[in-house]
Amino acid sequence: MAFFVSLLAHTVQAGTPLLLGTVGEIYAERSGVLNLGVEGMMAMGALTAFTTSFYTGNIGLALALAMVAGALVSLVHAFLSITMRANQIVSGLAITILGLGLSGFLGKPMIGMTVPHLASFPIPILAEIPIVGPIFFSQDVLVYASILLALVLWFVLFKTRLGLNTRSVGENPAMADSLGLNVYLIRYVCVLLGGVMAGLAGAYLSLLYTPLWIEGMTAGKGWIVIALTIFATWNPLRALLGAYLFGGVIALQFRLQAIGIGTQAPQFLLMLPYLTTIVALVLISVEAVRRRMGMPAALGLPYVRGES
Amino acid sequence: MKGIVKRFPGVVANDRVDFELRAGEVHGLLGENGAGKTTLMNVLYGIHRPDEGEIYIRGEKVSIGSPREAINLGIGMVHQHFKLVEPHTVLENVLLGLKEPAFILKLKDAGDRVLEISKRYELPIDPKARIWQISMGERQRVEILKALYRGANILILDEPTSVLTPPETKELFRFIAQMAREGRSVVFITHKLDEVMAASDRVTVLRAGKNVDTLPRDQLEKSKLASMMVGREVLFTLSKSPVVAGEPALELNQITVMGDKGFPAVKNLTLTIRKGEILGVAGIAGNGQRELTEAITGMRPILSGQVRLSGKEIDRESISRRIEEGIAYIPEDRVGVAAPQGLTVAQDLVLRRYREKPFSSGVFLNQREIEKNAETLIREFKIMVSGKDALVRTLSGGNLQKLILARELSGHPKLIVAVYPTRGLDVGATEYVRSLLLKQREAGAALLMVSEDLDEILSLSDRIAVMYGGEIVGTFPASKANVEEIGLMMGGSLRKT
Amino acid sequence: MKSPRLIFEKRLTTSRTITIAVPVISLVLGFLSAAPLFLAVGVNPILAYRQVLGVFLNVDGLTESFTRGIPLLLASVGLCLPFKMNFWNIGAEGQLFMGAFGATAIVFLLPDSPAFVLLGSMMIAGFIFGGLFGLIPGYLKARLETNEVLTTLMLNFAAILWVDYLVYGPWRDPKGFGFPLTPMFPPNARLPWIPGTRIHTGLIVGLVCAGLVYVFLARTKWGYELKVTGESRLAAKYAGIDYVKLTLLAMFISGGLAGLAGMGLVSGIVLRLRHGISPGYGFSAIIIAWLARLNPLAAVPVSILFGGLLVAGDALQIGLGLAFATTSVFQALILLFVVGAEVLTRYKVALTWE
Repeated sequence: MAFFVSLLAHTVQAGTPLLLGTVGEIYAERSGVLNLGVEGMMAMGALTAFTTSFYTGNIGLALALAMVAGALVSLVHAFLSITMRANQIVSGLAITILGLGLSGFLGKPMIGMTVPHLASFPIPILAEIPIVGPIFFSQDVLVYASILLALVLWFVLFKTRLGLNTRSVGENPAMADSLGLNVYLIRYVCVLLGGVMAGLAGAYLSLLYTPLWIEGMTAGKGWIVIALTIFATWNPLRALLGAYLFGGVIALQFRLQAIGIGTQAPQFLLMLPYLTTIVALVLISVEAVRRRMGMPAALGLPYVRGES
Repeated sequence: MKGIVKRFPGVVANDRVDFELRAGEVHGLLGENGAGKTTLMNVLYGIHRPDEGEIYIRGEKVSIGSPREAINLGIGMVHQHFKLVEPHTVLENVLLGLKEPAFILKLKDAGDRVLEISKRYELPIDPKARIWQISMGERQRVEILKALYRGANILILDEPTSVLTPPETKELFRFIAQMAREGRSVVFITHKLDEVMAASDRVTVLRAGKNVDTLPRDQLEKSKLASMMVGREVLFTLSKSPVVAGEPALELNQITVMGDKGFPAVKNLTLTIRKGEILGVAGIAGNGQRELTEAITGMRPILSGQVRLSGKEIDRESISRRIEEGIAYIPEDRVGVAAPQGLTVAQDLVLRRYREKPFSSGVFLNQREIEKNAETLIREFKIMVSGKDALVRTLSGGNLQKLILARELSGHPKLIVAVYPTRGLDVGATEYVRSLLLKQREAGAALLMVSEDLDEILSLSDRIAVMYGGEIVGTFPASKANVEEIGLMMGGSLRKT
Repeated sequence: MKSPRLIFEKRLTTSRTITIAVPVISLVLGFLSAAPLFLAVGVNPILAYRQVLGVFLNVDGLTESFTRGIPLLLASVGLCLPFKMNFWNIGAEGQLFMGAFGATAIVFLLPDSPAFVLLGSMMIAGFIFGGLFGLIPGYLKARLETNEVLTTLMLNFAAILWVDYLVYGPWRDPKGFGFPLTPMFPPNARLPWIPGTRIHTGLIVGLVCAGLVYVFLARTKWGYELKVTGESRLAAKYAGIDYVKLTLLAMFISGGLAGLAGMGLVSGIVLRLRHGISPGYGFSAIIIAWLARLNPLAAVPVSILFGGLLVAGDALQIGLGLAFATTSVFQALILLFVVGAEVLTRYKVALTWE
């Protein structure tokens, strides 16, 4: 029983960076911009948060600067994809390579250093509830923030004008434009939001997960985020489900290793998240009509006024 | 609008055009495709900025930099291709882009207001319906409601009747008259002479980017308008030599084809076309014609039923096999499907036939043969292009269609499936296309022609079939065609099988 | 108030000059834009640039550039095929690893064969293993429309971990002090050098492949089909092209060539299979293919250039204490400029004030 509780608690932690990244990516894609640079943005966020924490010890500042870092990187992608109408897939890839490369380049002096672990913040009373308590209410600040953000952003996306505008821009930018919506601005904001969330996700990785700096910390989590966006059918509520599901796979992999299963060949356990992603993608593809599933119709296509 | 000039790469769409609209007036804007009508209205609506010229609204000079500014000035536009977001509801579409309600959508109040406007103008609509669920006529009403909700008193309608059934068209004109009575102005863009003559107070004719003239209602005459549009005398009928139809070339037996929305678009349809016969399929777009042609050409699978080409069953065959069997296909979507823009003219001219003998041997393509073919076809079909190596994207609309026809008709096809073959073409190109199709008919090919243009159907077909709701609701020889009956069949109110 | 506006005008034709100038200029700009980064870590950019250029100006550096360029060449040439049809194969890295795995397996199986036979089989195995691995995402996309960017990427991780399993486990060199590597390849399993140079014969294979793929793209039916499919899948369907067959073919060849690159790595450079056998060659190959505008012949000089960048990366690491990731930064910056500049080939862009 204790095993399961700690496994689930770990699941929530493992799922948090995925959740943060996915919610941000959902907004970017809902507005019609494919952002494949999440991995790079997460790496930059991780480095920024780590370095800031190392030199100042101020977690709040670390998180804030990580968000700024993510936003700056995403600004490059936004400029190329939206203003310059470049190929969004290659641009995103370039950003990822840049982000990963930069974090390695600038992070060299940090290799091997550690920072204090992000403290956990048990919510009084709620944390005492058996089983559910330790899993959901004895976590650190970012876990709570991520769940809150997911809920708030879901509400905004579906129940407010901002969300309606965003969704319309991603479905039919020509129409949105002809009704007076500023397609470019909305897309910029959404991509920046994606960058901010990715930066935050990266910060979580370096401050909680492995509070020591190594190259390659993100290990493909940014890519899993992109897969999760599809899996969640661009809905932040479903993203909660998906993120924790994958978090569970990652946590399981850890726990099994810890117990000693698969120490002979740990690599197969390590493959688990990646293979699971492929399976999830295949399952989603097999499901019916994409339109009903909600893929924004204009995803990945640059918008040019006057050209249809 | 005074002296409006608008240029695009390679063409002057509006050449010093003056246009005047009075309050409470219904003004028809007439012209062929490419005359500049839509461009001019797009300038008024802020989608394009004019290179030269001025715009005055109620006497004040304005600069309209975006649709938002146009809306603020009271200008509303209903485009030919609706700008609606399909997964959203009607209400969400109407509310899109407005300043209020600012944050949380107050759907109830907005819904009431929409219903109020809809009742006032007799435009019935359900605010909670999702766009993909409603018909084209209803979608147009949503577009109109959008403009009215924003207080438009200048309403621009671009080819509004192209998607409507005859009864819906009547409704539309009633609404336009109501708008005019209230003191608002309506501009409607069209190329249909009958409509413009029936509904307008004044008509402006554009030709090749220039304003030919503006005529008041009492001076309107069909042949005069036509010659203004075209620049020469226009014949309204094409002579056709009688051809004896031969054996059945295409037999469709009880075919059912699935549509994109999850239900069958073609239901238990049976049809036969003989050699040397042109069958015109009339009907409003969206009643299964597209799916029918896709099923015959192999682009869409058939759920049940048989398709026979000269007696041979082909419904399981691949598209490349059907091309081999001699099916030519001129689809609706020229740019996206029939002629990829990034290829050269020479490459496009073998798009469906590159597997055939002279063009390729074994694995390799025979460049020289492909080029020879291109040179021949460019000459024969008089395609205006800088050279066989020019990119397809440089071709104008009419020439693009010529290229597609040149390719499809040069292989001596047994069956030609043509969808809206003369849509968007000027009168000269239209006549040319029609004569080509007639020539193929004389050579013994069978033709299935889908068109929304009744004139086209009536002038070319030997037999006519009307489609409604995925079924054929009437088949008769062209000589026995009755336009009113056809109109009723198109609207689903009559069956004559 | 006047504000700047960018005006885009679609180009109807693209001149030769633009097609060549754009990649070259973006290369230079991308390169130079790294300068502020060097300053940020306290390194004099001029020294860094001198190191990089120095690689190309001496025989050893040049030789190394060619050598490192070989796997880049093979992989990037292969990528021209799926990219041409808009199939985003991001899995060249994984396909490379699988090819390396296949080639190594042959060495374990037939260690005593004559060199000719052994090397030949290794090449075939490398190609086939990479090709089969590439078929997986190809099939998933062709049949199920599964997003190929993600599937190829995920498979990269799987392939890398698979090789890790082998070199940490069953294939580990017992005399290797516990390091994750196989025993060194016997002499008959090593690619010989081109006489007169210290570059292994893989270069010839690479050049031949570049030529073959060029002919494939320009002269064969499949090249034509790839082009049409890249323009529009609907148009390809209309033309009677079988998307499934085409995708599988393109991915088999692409994966195969990446696999061949892997074989070249283990048999010509590293001379064994080990952890991290490829420092991201598969990703660099993507950038090279894009820079070369999917022209296999243009990929040759670009690959050698990037090979030189890799050598420079080593030099920068040793000489100036910079992370090896510096090469990635260069590559990424170049790619960013290329991506942005590619727009100029499709549109005429003007900046106006209004």
